[in-house]
Order: sequence, then structure tokens, then C-alpha cells
Amino acid sequence: MTWKKRHWLIALISIVMGVAVIGVSLQWSRKNVSQLAQRHNSTIVPLIMIPGSSATENRFDSLVKELNVNRRNPHSLLKIRVAKNDHLTFSGEMRPRDRAPIIVVGFENNHDGYSNIKNQARQFNLAFKALNERLSFSRFEVVGHSNGGLIFTVFLEKDYSQYANEVQVTKLMTIGSPFNFNERNVNNKTQMLSDFIKNRKKLPTNLNVYSVAGTQNYTSDGIVPLTSVMASRYIFQGQVKHFTTMTVSGSNAQHSDLPQNRQIVNLINHYMLTAKRRRQVRLNEPVLH
Amino acid sequence: MNQSMALMVRAYHSRVARVMQQTFQLLFPVILLGSSAEVLQFVFLTASGYVATIFNVTHWLPFDRQLSALMAIIYRCTLGMVGMYGAYGTAYFTVKVYRQKSSPSAGLIGLLAFLMIAFQARSGGRVTFNPLLMTEGLLVGMLVGYVCGRILSAFKNRRSDLQEMMWRLTLIFVLAVSVNWLMSFLSRTGSLSIMAISGTQPTSGNALSFVLMMGALTELLSWLGIGGPYTASPTFTDPASIANLNHALKTGSPWNAPHPYTDTTLFHSYANFGGNGVMLALIIAILIFSKRANSRTISKWSIFPALFNSHYAMMVGIPVLFNPIFLLPFILVPIVNIIIAAIFLALHWLPAAVYPVPAGTPGPLIAFLGTNGNWVSLLLGIFLIVLDVLMYAPFIKLAERVQKSAGELK
Repeated sequence: MTWKKRHWLIALISIVMGVAVIGVSLQWSRKNVSQLAQRHNSTIVPLIMIPGSSATENRFDSLVKELNVNRRNPHSLLKIRVAKNDHLTFSGEMRPRDRAPIIVVGFENNHDGYSNIKNQARQFNLAFKALNERLSFSRFEVVGHSNGGLIFTVFLEKDYSQYANEVQVTKLMTIGSPFNFNERNVNNKTQMLSDFIKNRKKLPTNLNVYSVAGTQNYTSDGIVPLTSVMASRYIFQGQVKHFTTMTVSGSNAQHSDLPQNRQIVNLINHYMLTAKRRRQVRLNEPVLH
Repeated sequence: MNQSMALMVRAYHSRVARVMQQTFQLLFPVILLGSSAEVLQFVFLTASGYVATIFNVTHWLPFDRQLSALMAIIYRCTLGMVGMYGAYGTAYFTVKVYRQKSSPSAGLIGLLAFLMIAFQARSGGRVTFNPLLMTEGLLVGMLVGYVCGRILSAFKNRRSDLQEMMWRLTLIFVLAVSVNWLMSFLSRTGSLSIMAISGTQPTSGNALSFVLMMGALTELLSWLGIGGPYTASPTFTDPASIANLNHALKTGSPWNAPHPYTDTTLFHSYANFGGNGVMLALIIAILIFSKRANSRTISKWSIFPALFNSHYAMMVGIPVLFNPIFLLPFILVPIVNIIIAAIFLALHWLPAAVYPVPAGTPGPLIAFLGTNGNWVSLLLGIFLIVLDVLMYAPFIKLAERVQKSAGELK
């Protein structure tokens, strides 16, 4: 009888211990997987590019090709086209395990003018939401050419706050963006610039902004006056973490040529696309016999 | 049937079998302690081990590093040099069995011959031995020991003992040195790679048949005491595992993994409970069905390392190594497990085990943790163990019948 009792006791103890171990292990597993997922997702730092007016989502094809020259792990190029009826079309492909994909958001309604820019910013918000659901990144960078920089600034001041807890924009580069449209005199502020300055407190304080201007002569890149590009300082300077202005001259410094400009390609390579890789997942090392 | 039974009884009673049994008896305590120390070091005291991870051992245990280093000493000097002890034991017992006279020098000579074979001459004056032969060299060691033993017990002439001894010793040394030279020649020319299939091979053709083949090969080599293509615990470093993990992390669930049939998702998750050959099932089967007190004791002692997938103690204790009775279930049981798990995966009743688990996670929990707590996988693991116990049961009974008949033969 005692023999049987002992066996029952051993069985009971091992079952209780087994259940306890399963419970503790499960708890660990849940925590571990969520950590892994966090670490995994945070490693993707996409570079979102927004073209200027009259340009499509294919605007940066040659720029991306230029960026990928001699790269062992080229940036993949993903394109989102926003139709007039807000319908999103995705094209291009993501290379598996690409940590820095480039995503271009183009608009079917790509006309100039403040009301259009506001509408494009609203549409960008839709595209951004869809993109974040697909890639679930926690950091991203933005390059805006011409009006693209304005669209993103509208987005930053209006819609960005709803994401700010989960997704952080770390860097913004505007290239020849006319923050005061074609106005040469900063004292004549357009409605848009006044709105930008009025809402500047909503800009994220940990953002690095690079404002790049092209110059054919001392005052303009042929389309946008230098003073209009430099008006960005009234919006960003003192509000964001760092604000840097740069002026590019020489060949391909005309407004529409700026995305193909070698200096600007180098600037993008140097200032953007440099997010550090996080440490890889720890692997299961020791080998038992 | 009776004939094959008689054949097996004869084989069991043969002198080679007796040499092996006695050697294994000699080795068992050493290997049991060694594999327990290994489990303590890697599973309890290393930050990436199962118990250390789950209970955070390295954070609250004082002197955990020192303890781990002590365990490493025990493990390295026992299990890590098992080929040496195999050579010693086999040489000693070969002389004892074949000459009916125990000679202490035989073991020493076997050991010497093995060390001569494993010694690496091209290491710049330092004393180093072939690491593969030391850890996985039980088969080689026992072969060396057997050959030495046979040479020592072969010639029976009446010359003076010392002179005869010198002749034999010289012969053995010449043989050992030539084997050493041959091995270093082969390894330099690269044709020795067949002996070094350890570590996970890239599962490029990750089809089910590939896993089945590699699994069977691993079991077969493990039965021979050599490491097979699949390591004892999943490494999660092969491309397929990384792709699976990335997919799971991206989509937030282990379902629809791109590579459902890999060594990790099938072999390690469902066919390696307690080490190669589902040793945990053999232990349970022996505790339930065996009437031999000796087997039961050995099984009880082996539970601890086997829980954390270290199966060496059982292999030597029962013994399963080189034991023809257990060859069939040793290969068949894991293969059946792989096939059943593959069916579950194919029917989408189960997600693939994609998340990395700590080293030494108990067998049935690998799939459970690898799927981040899928209960079906845990239930399947328990079901498979029950099935495996039932599959092992007839072979245990067969082994006992053979042992009994062999005992009567004596």
C-alpha cells in the first residue's frame, strides 16, 4: 500500500511541477516573442520620399538607382500612388530583410496651390497609415522634393501627433521646397507660411531637419526663390532638434534637376539612410550532446 | 522467428558483445555525471540555457560563473573525452574476455594508442588532440581499444614477457601513428569531411523527404556514437529558420511560415524528446514495462539529463549504442514522429515552431514555446510520447527475453 501511495505522490508532484513549468515557460515565451517582434520591427527604418507638383510616384527612380550604385544590399523601392478618389495602389517590391527600404508616395492630383497641398497631405496621411500597417516600423525618415516638403510639413503639423507614440520621424530633408511659394520677400508671408509658423509648436522636438536649396544664381534655382526655401527657418529653427540649411550650386542645380544632383545624392546618402542597425536576435549557441 | 531469436541470443552472448557491455558498465557512471554536469552548465548556469532563462538564474545565483566553470571542467573531462575512456575500457576488457586473465597494462595501451591517433602534431609544439575524436570518438575509441586488445591477446608464444610486450607495443604504436598520419593526410586533402558532418547543414531543399533522410541519418550515426547532421538542440541559425522567424515577427503569428518542413519545425520540435531516438520515451517505457532492476535504476538516473535532451547516459547505460535490438526503434520512432507532425503541419492543424527556444528546453516544450504557446502542439507532443512509449515497449520485452536466454546459455 505504501508502495502505491509513494508512486501516486511522485506522479502528483511531477504533474504539479510540470504544469508550473509550462505556465512559467509560457509566460516567458509571450514576453520573449513580443520583445523579439519589437526589436525586429524597430529595425526597419523606411525612407519616405514625396515628389513635388506635376510629378508621379516614378519621380525618384533615377535617384534611387543612383543611391544603390555599388551597394551590396540595395535599398528596395516601394511606390504608393494615391488616386483622386483616395484609392491606394502599391507597386514595387520589398527585399526580404531590407532594413532601409525607400517608399515613394505619389499623388494623382499633383497640382500646385495651398488647397491642393492640404488635400495631398490628407491623402499622404491615408497612405502613411496603410504603409505603417503593412511594415509596422517604429522610425522613419522623409525626403520631400519641392511641394513634397510642404505636404509633409502640413502632415507633421496636422496628422502626425496621432502616431507620435508609436512611430517617430527622425529626419526630414526638404529639397528646394518653396515654404513661401514664389514670394521673394519674407515679409510678405503667404497664407501657407503663416499657417506653418502658427502651428510650429506641433512639430516634433526630436526631429533633424535639413533644408537644401538649389541655386542657379545668387537668388533662385530658376523657379523657387532662395528666400522662399530659406523661409523654412522661421518654421523649424528653435522648434526641432537640429535645423541645417545647405545651398547647392553648379550643374544640375536647377529646381527640377535637384533630385538628380550629385551633391544632393551624396547628402541623402550621408545624412539620411544612416539609421544604425539594432543588435541581431540572440541565437541559441551551446550545443548539447 | 525462433531462429533469429537464437541468432540474437548468440550475438548477445558473443565475446565482442560482452566486451562492449563491460565497457559500457565502466563508462556509465562517468558519462552520467558528465552529462549531468553538461546540463547544469548549459541549461542551468549559462544565460542562454532554458532554466537560466526561465528562472533568471544568472541574476540571483551568486558565483554562477564560477559554478559554471566548475561544471565545464567536469563535463570536458568526462563526456568531452569519452573516446579515450572507451579505448581504455575496450582494450582492458578485450584482453580480459579473450584471455580470461585481467591485465592492467592493456587498458593503458589502448588509451595510449587512442591518444596517439587523436594527437595533432601540427599545432606548434602545444599538446592538442583532435577535438572531434575526443567528444564524438566513442566508436573510434572502442575500435582502437578492441584492435589493441586483440593484438595483445593474439600471439601466444613462450618468450620472456618483457620482450614480447615490447614487440606488441611497437606494433600498436606503428599502427596508431600510421592512422594518425593517414587522418591528417586525409583531412588536409579534404576527403575526411564525411567524418565531420556535425552542425546543421543549410536546409536548402527543405522538403519533407530531406528532413526525413537527414533525421534518419542522424539517428543512425547517433546509434553508432557519432554526431549526425542534426545537432542535439535546434540552433535557429540556418537560413530557413531565420526566414521563418522573420515572417512570424512581421505578421505577428507563427502560422503560414515560409518553410514549414525543416529540422527545427519537425526533427527538433517533435522527434528529439530527451535527445536522439526519443530517449525520454525509452526511459518511460522501461520504467513502466521493464522488470530488470538494473535497467530501471539506470533509467531513473538518466531522467535528469534526458529531461534536457542529453541522452548519452541512456545510450551507454541500457545500452542502446551498437545494440541491434534497439536500432530499429531508435530510427523508426523519430521518423514516425516527424511524419505525424508533418501531417499536422500540412493540414494546418498546427503552426510551425519558429521562435527560438533556450538551449536545453525539455523536448515536448520546444514546439510549445516555438509556436509561442500553441496548445495543440503541446498535446501533440504528449500524444507522440505516449505513442513512442508504446512503440518502444515490444523492443524492451525482446531485449529482456534475449538477455534472459543469453543468461541461461551461460
